[in-house]
Amino acid sequence: MDVIWQGLKEGFMLILSLDQELIQVTLLSLHVSLTALIIAGIIGIPAGAFLALKNFHGRRLILNITYTLMGLPPVLAGLIVFLFLSNRGPLGDFQLLFTPTAMIIAQVILGFPLVCGLTARAVMTQQQEVYDTSVMLGATRTQAILTLIRESRIGIIAALTTALGRLIAEVGAVMMVGGNIQGKTRVLTTSIVLETRMGHDSRALGIGIILLLLAFIIMLIILKLEKRSFKDDSTIQII
Amino acid sequence: MTALFRLFNVTKNYGDRQVLNVEHLEIEAGHIYGILGPNGSGKTTLLRVISLLTLNDTGKLEVLGEHIHWAPTQLLRLRRQMAMVTQSSYMFEGSVFYNVAYGLKTRKTPEPEVKVKVQESLELLGMLDFINYPARKLSGGEKQKVAIARALAVNPKVLFLDEPTSNIDPSSSIEIESYIKYINEEKATTIILITHKLFQARKLAKQMFLMWDGHILEQGPTRDLFHDPRDPRTRKFLKGEY
Repeated sequence: MDVIWQGLKEGFMLILSLDQELIQVTLLSLHVSLTALIIAGIIGIPAGAFLALKNFHGRRLILNITYTLMGLPPVLAGLIVFLFLSNRGPLGDFQLLFTPTAMIIAQVILGFPLVCGLTARAVMTQQQEVYDTSVMLGATRTQAILTLIRESRIGIIAALTTALGRLIAEVGAVMMVGGNIQGKTRVLTTSIVLETRMGHDSRALGIGIILLLLAFIIMLIILKLEKRSFKDDSTIQII
Repeated sequence: MTALFRLFNVTKNYGDRQVLNVEHLEIEAGHIYGILGPNGSGKTTLLRVISLLTLNDTGKLEVLGEHIHWAPTQLLRLRRQMAMVTQSSYMFEGSVFYNVAYGLKTRKTPEPEVKVKVQESLELLGMLDFINYPARKLSGGEKQKVAIARALAVNPKVLFLDEPTSNIDPSSSIEIESYIKYINEEKATTIILITHKLFQARKLAKQMFLMWDGHILEQGPTRDLFHDPRDPRTRKFLKGEY
């Protein structure tokens, strides 16, 4: 119990002290996870909508693979990226291993199936009704698909928040391809691992609290944006 | 009179089950047509096929004078002359204005014209006061009125109504029935109405189709169909025995 209390105190002290190293680690965490989320969103949302709407041979198989990859172990994603980026790998010439770019690539691989799979699910749940309403009001196929994506926003935002939660808390992949190099590739999660290994349990817990606060603030921002876009329509009344 | 819809030997199957088998059907411009029949008799499938939402398996289909070959450009051109209101019309997330303006915006109608047409349509349905109200917060009857206003805003030649009053209270039903009559008489819009309410069909439709197991069992002027049905199944259905 002491360790937890000490950790809480240390966490707040770390925030108040504006520790330079911690700020740098926090900013890198944000940079890596948010960049990966944006890339996963840019590719994953259209891919998910495509899988939901387009009937083609092998679609079911691709959907099943996507759903399976939603549970891809981060260390496995890290290992795959490591093998590709290492000197002996096909992309070794780019010298990306142990850089933030490698960490972003690994996190995109983790985030993409989540965004794609959950977007597909969100679009599929109401596709016929929305599509029919749109085309019967004169929408072109593209306009109807864009309307469908707009109407599936709650599900798509849920997909993005789920992916963000996974990425910001992820340690296995960034550790493997980033190497936890001080001042270069160290992020909040890898700092926690390092501090714990060094026996600095309170400091590790303190960094954990900062990570939790960060995730909380980002989610608040996303929910605020969501609420603004839906006004009060996203709530139901349960009596 | 010009035939808006012509069907020859049109069929539709879902798996092994045949849900539609229409040998011959012609619908002319200008009237209110009622489609009656028990559940699962193929009414909605027929409506979806002639509104170009569902592809028929076999047969020849003509819509608004054109033989249908299901090319996207043809579908868009023809669908833009039709509109549909279903029993629980989907409301897009957003205001009543957003919903009613949707069809006009898809046609890239200039903004001032959109505003005028939305206001006119809502006023006709007595819903102008709700213009900025969130569409999903409306009651069932109000949603149906907005759905009709949304359909009217695009000035369709044909309006499909699939049980438009089945989920709403009697007074709203009567109100909507009066709008249906008005739209047909004043705007010369052809209306194809699926209903389970016999009195509604009798009150509104000039011509009737009675469907049974995917077939058109009987068709003709409403008065004749109600007073002198030829098929014993029609008689039973009209007596409420199905």
